Amino acid sequence: MDEVAEQSGRRRPRGDEPGGAFLAVTDLNVSYAGVRALRDVSLSVGEGEIVAVLGNNGAGKSTLLRAISGTLPLQRGTVDSGSIRLLGKRVVGLDPAGVVRMGVVQVPEGRRIFGDLTVEENLRAGTFGRVGRKGVGAAYERVFALFPRLRERRRQRAVLLSGGEQQMLAIGRALMSDPKILLLDEPSLGLSPQLVDRIGDIVRQINADGTAVVLVEQNAAMALKIAHHAVVLEVGSVALEGPARELSATSEVRERYLGIAGEDEPRTITAEPIKRVTSGKRSPRPLGIQDLTVRFGGLLALSAVTLHVEPGSTHAIIGPNGAGKSTLLNVLTGVYVSSSGSVDYGGSELTRMRPPQIAGLGISRTFQNLALSPTSTVRENLLLGRHRLSKAGFVSAGLRLPAARRELAEQTRIVDGIGELWGLGEVIDAPVGALPYGVRKRAEVARALCAEPSLLLLDEPVAGMNADESAEMARSIVQTREALGISIVLVEHDMPFVMGLADRVTVLDFGKVIADGAPRDVQRDREVLRAYLGFAEGSHESGEEEPPVSAPDAAQEKGETP
Amino acid sequence: MSQFFELLLSGMMLGCIYGLIAMGFVIVFKATNVVNFAHASIVMLGAFLVAKWHGSLGFVGAIAISAVVCAAAGALLDLVFIRPLRRRGAGIDALAIITIALNILLGTQLIRMVGNDLLPSGAPWGAKTTSLLGADIPQARLVAAIVAIALMGVFFLAFTRSDWGVAMRSAASDPEAAALMGIRLSRVAAGAWAVAGALAAIAGAFFVSFPAGGVSNATGLLALSAIPVAVLGGLDSTAGALVGGLLIGVAQQLTAGYQDNLAFLGRGLSNVVPYIVLFVVLLWRPSGLFGTREVTRV
Repeated sequence: MDEVAEQSGRRRPRGDEPGGAFLAVTDLNVSYAGVRALRDVSLSVGEGEIVAVLGNNGAGKSTLLRAISGTLPLQRGTVDSGSIRLLGKRVVGLDPAGVVRMGVVQVPEGRRIFGDLTVEENLRAGTFGRVGRKGVGAAYERVFALFPRLRERRRQRAVLLSGGEQQMLAIGRALMSDPKILLLDEPSLGLSPQLVDRIGDIVRQINADGTAVVLVEQNAAMALKIAHHAVVLEVGSVALEGPARELSATSEVRERYLGIAGEDEPRTITAEPIKRVTSGKRSPRPLGIQDLTVRFGGLLALSAVTLHVEPGSTHAIIGPNGAGKSTLLNVLTGVYVSSSGSVDYGGSELTRMRPPQIAGLGISRTFQNLALSPTSTVRENLLLGRHRLSKAGFVSAGLRLPAARRELAEQTRIVDGIGELWGLGEVIDAPVGALPYGVRKRAEVARALCAEPSLLLLDEPVAGMNADESAEMARSIVQTREALGISIVLVEHDMPFVMGLADRVTVLDFGKVIADGAPRDVQRDREVLRAYLGFAEGSHESGEEEPPVSAPDAAQEKGETP
Repeated sequence: MSQFFELLLSGMMLGCIYGLIAMGFVIVFKATNVVNFAHASIVMLGAFLVAKWHGSLGFVGAIAISAVVCAAAGALLDLVFIRPLRRRGAGIDALAIITIALNILLGTQLIRMVGNDLLPSGAPWGAKTTSLLGADIPQARLVAAIVAIALMGVFFLAFTRSDWGVAMRSAASDPEAAALMGIRLSRVAAGAWAVAGALAAIAGAFFVSFPAGGVSNATGLLALSAIPVAVLGGLDSTAGALVGGLLIGVAQQLTAGYQDNLAFLGRGLSNVVPYIVLFVVLLWRPSGLFGTREVTRV
């Protein structure tokens, strides 16, 4: 900690002093198809520094990294003006491979490892950006020393690694070309708290070995802890910047990015009552899961899981990566077939039904990684959510018969209303693909609500959001439940988010229920602290431990980017 | 029984040629995600050039030069048509349709040049046959099978062991991440098209050798059978290309050989049979025999 304090206290050379900065971004303007994404952004990274880039979803953090790494054209973005210099040499205009050869390597968001290649082949792919073949052996040794797990699993296909291991592989792969500057895009995304700390330690160590780091993070607490300098982006511009320690002390950063609003305030969420848009009757029924077991080959993804969801309650299911949370949701919606056990929703046995029949019972879900059509508008996506409730057939809708037109108008009115409630009013006609991630997540929930469910299943609704955005999501969820009286099953990683929201919490680990009860009690359960946070008995050494990843989760984690 | 065995064996050898053609198809698909229908007319181009040049260069020499020309032709198609369109955001469906157009253009030009002739490939084995396990097998087919299997072996090793293979598989798995690691995607793509072109030329030369009569205006159409072969094996699997080739080669030879017994189905069934086999297999395994299933996240 001392060395951090010492370095961050030092006066840093700014970008406009030539030769001072290692990487200097000056007055950068970037747009996507005419829409401005970055406005006069400047950033400088000194030799051996860690610079954190913070900000909400859609603030332009990833765009900044793309501009540096030369991958903007792949996303149809262009640099309109400004310069990016590495050791005084221009970077703008180089292709990604050229940028890598200059010593700047980016670890993309969502890990993006090559799933069907082995761990070793992934690392080998990382060496193709080297200028010469000399020192390749040393690079392997460095990566294996940093991540001993990768050495153990070097012959395995990368897709079989757990989420944390995949992140380590993604970082290791980037280190194979001995970069001078490492760009990290959300390395802690979707990882459990103990792994987030470990990633923080690793970044520090990489930096101590002499690599400068630009760290884009949603997890501002971790980023500010390890960074020397930090920049906060808001709507494409630099809103705040300064030494990381000073920034983390400002009230603005504390409230908006660290989620600290005064510790003694109880975290119960209150919400303004809202008007209902639809008139359909919702009568949530009890959901009973009894001894549910799911096997994938020899792997036990869920083992005799039993839990009950009271009608009209919010029930959270939490657990580390690979605990079986998504598997459970997939059984509830009929996507996976259970090996044994039963799921009863108000007298209907769900394990024997097909997904459309289950949807017909009024069960609707969101997806962790968004299942919206990117080229359609928000309204079109929401209308799709009402498909089950539409009466017009193929022919009458295709011919635009008057009845079908009337129905479409009515459906549109409902959809617009739900969109309005979820803060999507202004973007209702925008194609989903052009919207920031946080807004898309809201559209995803709104789409599920358009089916007028009596039971709503939410799969990690706040994954990848910062404190500010998750608080807003929590408010909307509470509003919705109050207004509609429906049951909500919430699968989440983010423990504090769940604690303020749920009536009851079930904790899964290795496919088993290890705790079940009111949030207050579960939070204090020793078993939960050990499994989920990894620090019962104060043992920090167990940080290596990671649950083996279950087959479906491994497949899911492969393509984490939406 | 001996007729059945003979048909089986010659079917397998034809299948090796199909497999070699399909492998070029698979390589382009793996590396660039383009379903390259123009591959059929590159096969015909390769065979045509061998037929043209074997007189002066000899069969092997003509194949070598033809392979170089077809490799260049493949890379050129990528450079001139595919890459600029991809840069402007053409999807894989649009690119596939472009390759259909290219196939028609190139094929028509070749048909014009061949006319109604039947140009012999000039393979030195002529119509000679060899007795293999009691079955009479055309020597040209035997050599074709050996060459095809050897080439596939070489490419299997190159895929799994060489830097080129790792770079290509990385690019196939996630192009953007591969670019971020310093892999030049354009080079990987051009390389794949060139390799596919060279393979097409070699396969084409054997495809039109005995018992086939030579390059005719139908060669391009017949080579299109390699597309069901590739789809059947799984579009992204090189092993699938070989197995698919064997299956379709055998099915085709058997239906041709027992044509008289199958007369109630009409004549020329052997030209349709690849598509029938394809249909049946896809009903059973929608991503082909060895294809990786489209992983959709739920």
